[in-house]
This record gives sequence, structure tokens and C-alpha cells, in this order.
Amino acid sequence: MDLEQAKGLAEDALKRAESSGATYAEARVQGTRVREFVLKNGEPQPSFFEEGYGVGIRVLSRGALGFAATNSMDAASVKDLAARAVKLAGASSSILKKPIKFDSSKAAKAKWAPKEKKKIEGADATWLREVLMEAEKRIADGKAGVKIPGRIIVILAGLDEKYYVNSDGAKVQARIPRILSFCSLTAMEGGETAQRFIQQGETGGLEVVDRIGLVARIEEEAKVMGKVLRNSRKPPTDTLDVVLSPELSGIAAHESVGHPQEADRVLGREGAQAGESYLKADSIGRKIGSAEANVSDDPTLPNSNGMTPVDDEGVTGRKRRLIKDGYINEFLQNRVTASEFGVESNGASRASGFDREPIIRMANTFVEPGDYTTEELLKEVKHGVFFKSFTEWNIDDKRLNQRYVALEAYLIENGEVKGLVKAPVLEITTPRLWSSVKARSKKLEFESATCGKGDPMQGAPVWTGGPETLLAGIKLGAR
Amino acid sequence: MDIEGLNELAIGTADRLGAEDAVALTSKARERMIRFANSSVTVVNHVEEAEMMVYVAKGKRRGIASTSNLEPSGVKRFVSDLFASLKGLPQSEYASLPDAAKKYPSASAGFDRKLDSVGPELPDLAKRAIGASLKAGGKRSAGVIEASTVSSAILTSSGTKGAETRASIKLNIRSFAANDASGHGLSCSATLAGFDPEMAGERAGSDAKRMADASEPQAGKYRVMMSPTVASNLIEIVGDSASAFSVDAGTSYLTDKLGKKVAARQFSLTDHGSVRGGLGGRRFDDEGMPTKSVKIIEDGVLSTYLHNLTTARKWKTETTGNAGLVQPHAWNLEVGAGDASYEEMVREMGEGIILTSNWYTRFKNYRTGEFSTVPRDGAYLVKGGEVAKPLKGMRVGDDLQRAFSSVQMLSKAREWIEWWEVSTPTLCPWVMLDGITVTKAYE
Repeated sequence: MDLEQAKGLAEDALKRAESSGATYAEARVQGTRVREFVLKNGEPQPSFFEEGYGVGIRVLSRGALGFAATNSMDAASVKDLAARAVKLAGASSSILKKPIKFDSSKAAKAKWAPKEKKKIEGADATWLREVLMEAEKRIADGKAGVKIPGRIIVILAGLDEKYYVNSDGAKVQARIPRILSFCSLTAMEGGETAQRFIQQGETGGLEVVDRIGLVARIEEEAKVMGKVLRNSRKPPTDTLDVVLSPELSGIAAHESVGHPQEADRVLGREGAQAGESYLKADSIGRKIGSAEANVSDDPTLPNSNGMTPVDDEGVTGRKRRLIKDGYINEFLQNRVTASEFGVESNGASRASGFDREPIIRMANTFVEPGDYTTEELLKEVKHGVFFKSFTEWNIDDKRLNQRYVALEAYLIENGEVKGLVKAPVLEITTPRLWSSVKARSKKLEFESATCGKGDPMQGAPVWTGGPETLLAGIKLGAR
Repeated sequence: MDIEGLNELAIGTADRLGAEDAVALTSKARERMIRFANSSVTVVNHVEEAEMMVYVAKGKRRGIASTSNLEPSGVKRFVSDLFASLKGLPQSEYASLPDAAKKYPSASAGFDRKLDSVGPELPDLAKRAIGASLKAGGKRSAGVIEASTVSSAILTSSGTKGAETRASIKLNIRSFAANDASGHGLSCSATLAGFDPEMAGERAGSDAKRMADASEPQAGKYRVMMSPTVASNLIEIVGDSASAFSVDAGTSYLTDKLGKKVAARQFSLTDHGSVRGGLGGRRFDDEGMPTKSVKIIEDGVLSTYLHNLTTARKWKTETTGNAGLVQPHAWNLEVGAGDASYEEMVREMGEGIILTSNWYTRFKNYRTGEFSTVPRDGAYLVKGGEVAKPLKGMRVGDDLQRAFSSVQMLSKAREWIEWWEVSTPTLCPWVMLDGITVTKAYE
């Protein structure tokens, strides 16, 4: 099976759904090919590869939504499934309070792919192993200045190919190659341990490994762990300023801005799982932060981990200004929520695989950069803590009460970065956090992450990012 | 071709190519789901998936691959590609499959055929849960009912052969009342007769009503009574930490603690490969070895790690039947019951906090077990042995060993838990812990 063969099944499914009475129908065939290699403490684990095609069909019938999927790629099974989706959706309308509608977004006809210099198909077991062995060589046996007895390094080269059609005329084909790396490092010194999980990756070909400095990053993180174990002191407990690194700015943007501004959460659709939102349908225009609080989500960033220029409802994506000058500016919308809100979808709908319905997802969420250099920003701080990286984090399901525990953090005194502080805790409400933003640096950097949402669970590749962000007048906790 | 025939084809191909060890594990799953929010259906899902996983080893090189292309020609090509890929791999030490073949006679114990046909009645089951919540005080409900049937078959190059089918049905309902107050209910069962949507709906609705005037507690150390739902979320990490892979990888707080006290004396944890009422598991693991009941923690002492053949060889012990070809894992966890009723526990607690649900548990360090988690839905302050008032806006944290060493009481009644925040089915009582840290956000 290849994408060209699978396309016909999508067209067939669409026709069958329509002839079975669907008032709206879409079909998406998706092929996935993954090559993965894992090193555990330098020992190669069995290499892994995965391949397969499947088709997902979503329909509206009697105002209710049905989704069906199979990886049995024979025409009869797929057509039967399309008819079944229509029947199941219609039958469920007995507990439908209000018919579900799709907005009138323009149906895209597009073919997209991130730039790919060296084809991802070149990622065979030998190549994957060589990448990981280079990382292992730099951190094993105390080479990074600290013993790291627990080392898991994973590299994954994946390719998703999709073909999407819907009854409004959309026709979208995508080829999405991606390199991802996960690394778990447990360092020990003087009876203390430090742990760091690092995820790196973006869309593109084999050149991604060099472009993002995948191996060098692992080595650098390992060196930092040694310093943290040797030199950290208790964090201050008085009121102070906090500088968030791009990594911390990004996670805060993702957790306390991106998630509560997903329109499906605002409307309650994820209530039993990832929760609802502290924001309501009429919260657009509400002041939530200082004039310096500016947060966006952009699916069009080239080669980003969350790159989705056309979404899984056949809508062309665009940058979304979520918080603009301290005010809630817009929500992330799909075609169903857009219809509820009386707006147009901004192209935020994605499915993690053929067997998942498309739902609202962030793409690349970030604090907008400001106009300070890093040095100028730090000079603004008389007494503060610089959060460089984090370990533990969580947030309540309305997205009001969040916590970030730093791994690498430094005291700042009179504009100068001083010694390391041990596990400072930023546990803060969303309005307080964004109202405390005093300044932002020009730097804009991104981290790769996998965002979890939906039921069944869907992991979506995203970037989180931002500049250095200065928060004024904060009280920290300690672990 | 049925899944057992596909396994024959895959192993036959691997044998002809010269594989020293080979395993084919093929599964077919049917998942039927209804989701609702604001007491109205949002989507119905019907997903049919088949997958074959093949493991081959030769000359100290090993590879694993999975495919959904189950056409006979596709299976042959797939196994050939996997075998060919071994050439590019480095050699590593591992344990070979045992020579002796094991046969698992086909068995239907634990498989409720009535669950296999559940589908058209999902809207009615959802209505029953929503109705019960409404009656108990919930104004609107969100939730999901999922019925699944999974058939699995294994064949190894040693001739080990087995097949079985399991089914389960699960409801997760969350109800909301005034001021966004919320309550949570679950019903998880391996039989249709054991599924109780009204019970789950009533719990969600009544907690939503009781939570309407919730306030924030003072930060500090508390006795905490965790519901089976909350406790299972932490127990799952205890199970993960017992995997020999996690210990080797530096991500287990149970490292270097075999034979040592890791919990209070009244706390015991067992993993069952296959158990009546269990929502998951199999009689054979991914290496074809028989699964069994494995006592992980007995009377507070860590008895064993969970092993596959390769980790067992490294640790100079026997496999516990918990393969995962790479990572050993738990199948169905069971926390030993206590002898107290819920009411007795509340009375005995005197002062403390009751938690009914939680989410977003994250670790500062899996090696030390330091975590925090965010309570949601029904949460109550207890004073003088009685529920005093509802609570919101807090976070609880600790390290796992200290927390489970502080176990004060366990309830006699237990529930099976598997939901969005608990993926390993767990039979769990109410658990009372002492000295748990409660924090609040800086406002």
C-alpha cells in the first residue's frame, strides 16, 4: 500500500458516507512509517520499526457527529465503515441537545510538506545507531563532568503521509517527515540525584540532527546537571523578580494560555478528561495580563514541530494572537467551535493518527519576543531568580493554578547572574503570572514537546517557546 | 486469514530466513465509544484495528517491528525487511527464548460475550449516567463510555502458542453544578453485569452539588484520604518503578531496595497477568511466557522487580512473566484490602483532607520519587472525624516511598480503576496517608 493507492479509498469512503445520508463527510487516509533506536546505559535495545496505513471517516448525520476508522485497507471494509459511521452518528442523536454544525471556512486544495534536504527514508538502523553512539560517547563514564548512571537516549525518524477529502470540496495532501529525540538522564553525586528529560525535534529530513545540534544539546544538559548537584543553594523566600528562559516562557504559554484558549475546552467538550477552562465564551477582550503579555500560536512556522499549514479539516491555518497587549484576543478554533462562536476556523484542528478524530490542538505556542537584549533585561533585575530549565510541572484543569520546578536556576543580584539555586518552585495563578510580565528579550527560541489531549488520547507534536520573560514581584517556593 | 494463521506465516518466514528466535504477536481490537459534554453527545467512535508485532533475533542482534498490513504477501515482506535490518545493528546481550514450547489452551474465562456486542446501546447507557447525575444534583455532565474487545494470539519459534479474547467497558463521568463545582464518577468492568452507570453518575452529581461553596485550604501537612481513583494514579507509578527496565534506566525510586521496607506494613501490591474481574492482561506475555500473580510489595517490603527474560538474566533471576520485549510492565495491579469502612476511616482520620479525583501527576525526579499532583472534583476538609467543608485550589506532593510508608488505613471495599489518568487496571481501596504536603498558588 502507498498513498496513491490509498487515495482512492478516501474518495470511496466519502461517496459512501454521502450516499448513506451524511449531511457532511470527510475521509483521511494516513500512512505512518517510524524507525526508532534506543540506547540504555550504552546498551543497544532491539531496534524498532513500524509501518501501516489506515483510514478515518467523520460524518454528520441528524446533527450528530460520528467517527469510524480501520486499518483494514480493502475497499469493501472501508465503504461499510463509512455507512456504519453514518448509522451510529444518527442513532446517537437521541441524546443530542443541539445539532452540531460546521462553519463555512473555505475548503483548501493544497499539497504541503516541510523542507527536507536529506530524505527521511535514509534513516536506517545503522544511521540511527551512529547518532546515538555519538551522544553516548560524550556523556558516559563521567565525560560530561558528572556520573550519569541512568541514560536512556531514543532517536526516532518518522514519516506521516496524509490525504484528506471532505464533502465541501477540500482536498489536501501532506508529507510530514520528522526527527525526534528523547533523552532521560539521571546524574548522581555526593548521594544526591538530578534528573532531566530532554525532547528535541522538528519536521524535516535527516539534516535536522545537525541543524538542531541534537548531540551537543545532550552533552550540554549533562554538564549542567553536574553543576546543579555540586553548587546549588537554597532559593530566596522573599519577594523578588523572576526571569523565565525561553524554555520556561514556552511551557507557561502552552499550559496557561494555549490550553485554556482552545475553544472546545471553553465550550466544555473536554470536560471529563483534560477539563474545561477558566475562560468563558464571552471572555474575548478580557484583560488577563500586563501590556507586555503577548502570546501567539503559529502553525505556519517552517520546519517547526507543530507545522500544520493546512489542518485536518481542510482549513488553511494562520497565526493566532491569543493574548495581545494583555487582553484575551482569540481562541483556537476548529470548524465546529467556529460555528458556535460565529467566527471562521483558524485552522487548529489535528488528528494524531488515522484512528483519531481531529480535535483542536496548539501548533507552536510562544511568548512574543520583546525589544530588550538579554543583558538589558537582566539589568532590570535587582534581586531575582533566573529559571533556565524545569523538571516537575503541572496545572489545574481550568488552567488557573500552575507550578514549575526548576532544575537549572540562578540567583540574580543587581543585574548579574550569580550562583545556582536549588529547585525553586514557581507556583502561581494564571492572572498573576501574566500580569507580572514587565519585559521580554528579543531572543526567540523553541523547545519540542508532545501535547496530550483527547479521549482516546492523542499526542500532538508541538513547539513551545518564547524569549526571556521578566516577571516582577513574585514569591517562590522550594522543594 | 485469522490472526493465528498470520502468526504461522510470520514465524515460518522468520524460520526460513534463519532467525534464531522469533515471536509473532497479532491482535485485533474493536473499540466503540460515545462521548458527551453538557449532557449532549459530542461524538460516537467506532475503531477497528489489527496489528502484528514481530520480534526476530540472530547473532546477538535483535529487532522488533509492527505492521497493520496483514495481507499474506505484506507479512512475508515485512518479516523479510525486519530480518534484513538486523545486519546494520550492533550486537547486544539478551536471553534467548526457552526451547520448550508452551501451549495455552483456548480459554474464554473472563471474556463476557455480551460486551462484544455492546454498541447500539451506548447512547442509552450514557443517558442513564447523565440522568443519575442530574437526580443527585449535577447540572450538566461530560463523559465517555468505551467498550472494547481485544483478541490476541502469539506464536514463537520454539512452538509456544496461545490465543485469547478480552473485553471491558468503562465509564468516566464528570458533572458540574453551580460555580463550576464538579464531581467525578467511574465504572470499570470486565462484564456488562458489573457495569453501573447510575452509580458513577450519582457520585459525580452528588459531589458536584456538595462542592458548590468550596474554599482553599491552608497550606501545610495533612492526613489525606485518597479514593481508589486517586490512589491508583500513584500506584501505577509504583508499578512502573518496579519494572527492572526502570531500575536500570535510573527512573525508579525502588532502585537498591529489594528486600527492604518501602511502604507501611499493611500495604501490599500484587500484579496479576490474568485475574477474574481484571480489565487487562493475558495468560502469556510478549515472550510467550506464562503470566502469573507476582507479589511486588508484601507487608511493606519490596519482594521483586518485574522481569522479562532479558532483564531476568541480567539480574540472575527468573522472568516474572511481565514481558514487554524491551520493558517489563504490570498487567493488573491489586492493592491489598484493609478492614475499615469508608465511614470508619473518616472518623479515624479526625482532621485531614478527602480527595476523590486528581490529574496531572508529574515528577521532579523518578529516582527519588518526588512528585506533585492536582486534586480536582470532590475534595473535603475533615474536622473532628466529620466532613466539614468542600475544598478547591490546592496541590498535593510528596515522595512515593515516604507517602506509602505513611499508610494509616485501607478500606475493605475496593474498586477496579482504569481511566484517562490510570492506564494500568488497578484494584484499589481507599488509602489514608499521613503528612502529605498541601500547597497553594501565589495569587
